[in-house]
Amino acid sequence: MKKIEAIIRPENLEVLKAHLEGVGYPGLMVTEIRGHGKQGGVIHQFRGNEYKSFFLSKMKVEIVVADAQVQKLVDAISEVCKSGTVGDGKIFVLPVDNAFRIRTGESGDTAVS
Amino acid sequence: MKRFIDKMKNQKDRRYFFTLLGGKFLGLAVLLTAYQLGKAMFGGTNAWGDEVAAPVAAAAATAVAAIPGYVNPINTGWVLLGAFLVFGMQAGFTMLEAGFCRERETVNVLVECMFDTCVCGLLHWAFGFAFMFGEGNAFIGWHLPGDPTKSLIFMKDVELFSTYGGTGIPIFAHYLFQFAFADCASTICSGAMVGRTLFVGDVLYSIGVSGIIYPLFGHWCWGPDGFLATMGSQGHFLSSLGMNFHDFAGSTVVHSIGGWVAIAGAIMLGPRIGRKFKRDGGEPMVPHNLTIAVIGALILWFGWYGFNPCSTLSMMDNVGVARVAMNTTLAACTGGLAAIFWIYFRTKKWDVISIINGSLAGLVAITCPCYWVSGLGAMIIGVVAGVLVVLATDLLEHFRIDDPVGAWPVHAVCGIWGTVSLGLFASGQYSAAGSSPTGVPIIVANSADALSGLFYGGGMKVLTAQCIGSFIVCTATFLSAMAMFAALNAIGILRVSKEGELSGFDIDQHGMAVYSHD
Repeated sequence: MKKIEAIIRPENLEVLKAHLEGVGYPGLMVTEIRGHGKQGGVIHQFRGNEYKSFFLSKMKVEIVVADAQVQKLVDAISEVCKSGTVGDGKIFVLPVDNAFRIRTGESGDTAVS
Repeated sequence: MKRFIDKMKNQKDRRYFFTLLGGKFLGLAVLLTAYQLGKAMFGGTNAWGDEVAAPVAAAAATAVAAIPGYVNPINTGWVLLGAFLVFGMQAGFTMLEAGFCRERETVNVLVECMFDTCVCGLLHWAFGFAFMFGEGNAFIGWHLPGDPTKSLIFMKDVELFSTYGGTGIPIFAHYLFQFAFADCASTICSGAMVGRTLFVGDVLYSIGVSGIIYPLFGHWCWGPDGFLATMGSQGHFLSSLGMNFHDFAGSTVVHSIGGWVAIAGAIMLGPRIGRKFKRDGGEPMVPHNLTIAVIGALILWFGWYGFNPCSTLSMMDNVGVARVAMNTTLAACTGGLAAIFWIYFRTKKWDVISIINGSLAGLVAITCPCYWVSGLGAMIIGVVAGVLVVLATDLLEHFRIDDPVGAWPVHAVCGIWGTVSLGLFASGQYSAAGSSPTGVPIIVANSADALSGLFYGGGMKVLTAQCIGSFIVCTATFLSAMAMFAALNAIGILRVSKEGELSGFDIDQHGMAVYSHD
């Protein structure tokens, strides 16, 4: 089982969800986050003075799936969120020890399918 | 009865009885004292509903027979409309300050604005109006103009038909109008002190500004015998000058006083924790709600249509009222555009804060000269104000003074500019005395009765008077404000503790967050 953490642009969220519905996914969690990557933020201005803002708004999308589904979902996310300009985001894949469905008590891969 | 006598034989019961009796007499004494005190404070010479009112009414009737009967009611309605509009500016100020500060200090701004409004209303009624608009001496007033026997303190001797001087406006209506102005001054101060002032300190300096600083220095400019208002004439301050200090609606009296108290507070408090300035490579503390801030600025502009035009105190001077309203508008427009273009040429970005502060700066600047300048003059005054506000904001940033809303650049700096600009742009066509209750006196252009500035051939007289007046009021305000804040700081009730500020300023001072997230 793996957890896919995708940091994407906020405006891509609705498009991504629609696309993922076609691909098939067990569920997802969305968090609003702020952060920056290699470019170190953007130039803002305030009352006529420029300053660098390191905290850009992004969305973190987390999906926990069985190993077999990981590549399919990573490809789907990349396809939707790639625009070619700086700030498209990143996808991290983390290992997950186990998962449980609270309602039925199932565990393992069946809990995330 | 027998039971009572038996009880009295018992010592304990006897003591109990006499204690109760003594208590009843004490209560009676307290009541009587309170009644006497109340009569002394609120009685006055002619209470409402007295039979004595009849001869007073007759006397008033003969007095107003000279001018048409509709004049005073119409003028009073106009002044009250102004009072309501200027009071509406409180909503504007609250929104502006709340929008400019961070979310963690917003509740404090909201409570402070309401609190200082309530305090100012009472203080102005009790003695603020008396000190400022009463007659007394050159520095402070206390009685009804023209009648030293009638005290304005606690509105003690205000009678049924008491009007203010020759304006024909009832005292209570004039009080309301002027309270709204006083409230503006005291709210302006809080703008630069957002986010780190202990609420007790807030309350106390509010009392100081509304109760003493504003009425006292305002009396010098607007009181019937204030030394700046009577300056330059025979037997008064600087009699050789030949010109008194003019401030139509309060660039100096309201805005400069408010702005200089604000900067004194900001200096005494120091910046908010975590505020790093531009010269040290720091980021700004961005406003948490620009929407509210801009709407606040628009409400302020709207309220300014009561602030300036209603300061004629006369609707009969409809020509003057129209001119003042037009000048107010033109200065606000050019001020906003000048500021935003100035910033655009600097950063190639269109800055929202510049345009609202620029408009407000234009409004502050035109507040003094609005009656006496032409439309073109108003526009130029606005442009200069718009540029000044940007530069003054940079100055504060350079000196590491944390002024979250820009109270000093907008109100103090542009208040001074507006006051001085009268000496340059007074067009020589309008009466130096301002409006009259029955209408504008006919003025021959550039005559001695008209106010003529440097650019209109009037020479340096008006400019000198304006500079002197502005300098005196600003200096007095700044020094007394610094003294007041130093005193509060010494007792330790000015600035919130470091733990309180870091743990969440609103939680520490008010026990609540401004937006609930459930």
